[in-house]
Amino acid sequence: MTTLPTTLNPSSVPSEGEALALTQSRVTEDWLAVWIGLFVFALSLSLVAGIDLLGWAINTSVWTLPAKALAPASKLYAHLPAALSLVATYFFLLAVLLVAAKGLRADLKRFAAGFTAIFIVSYACWFLGSWAYIAATPDKRAALKIAWSLNLTNESGYIIALLAGLIVGNFLPGVARAIQEAVRPELYIKTGIVILGGFLGIAALEQRQLATSVIFRGICAIIEAYLIYWPIVYFISRRYFGFSREWAVPLASGISICGVSAAIATGGAIRARPVVPIMVSSLVVIFAVIELMMLPFAAQHFLYNQPMVAGAWMGLAVKTDGAAVASGAITDALIRAKALAATGVVYQAGWITGVSATVKVFIDVFIGVWAFILAWIWSAKIERRSGDKVKVVEIWQRFPKFILGYVATFLIVLGIGVAVPSLIPKVKASMGQANLFRSMFFLMTFFAIGVLSNFRKLWQEGIAKLAAVYVLCLFGYIIWVGLLISWLFFHGVLPPVLKG
Amino acid sequence: MTETRVGEELKKMESEYEPLLPVERKLIWYTFTTGVVLLAIFVLISRWFV
Repeated sequence: MTTLPTTLNPSSVPSEGEALALTQSRVTEDWLAVWIGLFVFALSLSLVAGIDLLGWAINTSVWTLPAKALAPASKLYAHLPAALSLVATYFFLLAVLLVAAKGLRADLKRFAAGFTAIFIVSYACWFLGSWAYIAATPDKRAALKIAWSLNLTNESGYIIALLAGLIVGNFLPGVARAIQEAVRPELYIKTGIVILGGFLGIAALEQRQLATSVIFRGICAIIEAYLIYWPIVYFISRRYFGFSREWAVPLASGISICGVSAAIATGGAIRARPVVPIMVSSLVVIFAVIELMMLPFAAQHFLYNQPMVAGAWMGLAVKTDGAAVASGAITDALIRAKALAATGVVYQAGWITGVSATVKVFIDVFIGVWAFILAWIWSAKIERRSGDKVKVVEIWQRFPKFILGYVATFLIVLGIGVAVPSLIPKVKASMGQANLFRSMFFLMTFFAIGVLSNFRKLWQEGIAKLAAVYVLCLFGYIIWVGLLISWLFFHGVLPPVLKG
Repeated sequence: MTETRVGEELKKMESEYEPLLPVERKLIWYTFTTGVVLLAIFVLISRWFV
């Protein structure tokens, strides 16, 4: 097994053949995320050369009157009707993703139909989440002429999209089946993360010292996560729950490292049957949703004065790339709103999400190394078989390739800014346009994660014992140790303050 | 593997427990100890030098 699964549907446990097929298609999806992200990034960068190629994309403001909510992103396209801008955004994403779907050998008609439904519902959720009574922060209420609001920022659209997805996944199985060809949260989130790299490059340019500090602390924190989480979870699974090695390795990796990717990679490393990591992955997806619904709100309540601790905590505690970065995005919005309401401090947006993404990306980087170490121990010490040789090239084969895209966009923006500082405002504007698409990919990720989370079916599949280990280790150990490690490394580190 | 067979396999593990091998114990112990030691070192570095 060389790679990771494309999509995961816990509503049906795949056969071994299906599981193997899933694991074989991930390289393609990983690389596709890189190319799609770089394509959007490159188009947005054309603004630096004075060519506005993405200014027609739809931008959604916090609204009290629906008619005034939508507008094209750039003034150059201000004459375009908002509806046309929205339709253009849809067709652009559809065209790009249809190319990706062809690469993934998906059924294009079903993909197009599914994507259309996902886009419509996701955007409707974003639009609803931008309603002033839900989204407006206290400093914006006077301008919007409203007396109260839930103070959730327009990123509450993510939570609404997740809830919509959960409704579809759990109560509308026919709809879930009809759109399943396009329900690809890993593709969407990885593309979003590639684009996010450029956005974080701008943040790093503006706050170089802070960015360096965050990256160093992020690396430290994830090394700890591997070495402190994994052995304890493995020990508990083996000693107290009696799991075999074949089940305990993917389970420990899924709970303690990076969910789906780690479960699949380490499962492959010890030559577990494909169904084992796939089953564990199903559980990971379900619990990631539960964490996504709980931890950002806990962070808002208890950590609003330590925003970077909260961001790192999301990266360390929430499993799966999608849910972790999504949690970081929600935490970013919630904490900035709470800090403003409680203390009058306005933190720069994006830093909390950036810490979550940085921690998660470094965790992903080390999955291949960890899988390699386990592969060596298993083949050399535990299950010695003649002809078993662990090759260094396997680290590369298991390396999540979308990280290359993330690093590339980050370094390109950083490089341009360092080489020609006068271009920074233009690069910032271009990343603002790219960020609109990043938000769309994140939105579709939330909805897709919800659709894939069929709680009832998973329970029926008889994995209550796996769930018991998961609950014990995640809520009794991982979350608290993750919080401690985040606190140790990020306590006192604050995002740039814009006001207050 | 069908749904039932996964459930059955998980139940079966209770009666057919694979005891922890010495190499597994070493892996658990060395990894955890290294983690705790590195934690202390990295925290000091991050507080003093970064």
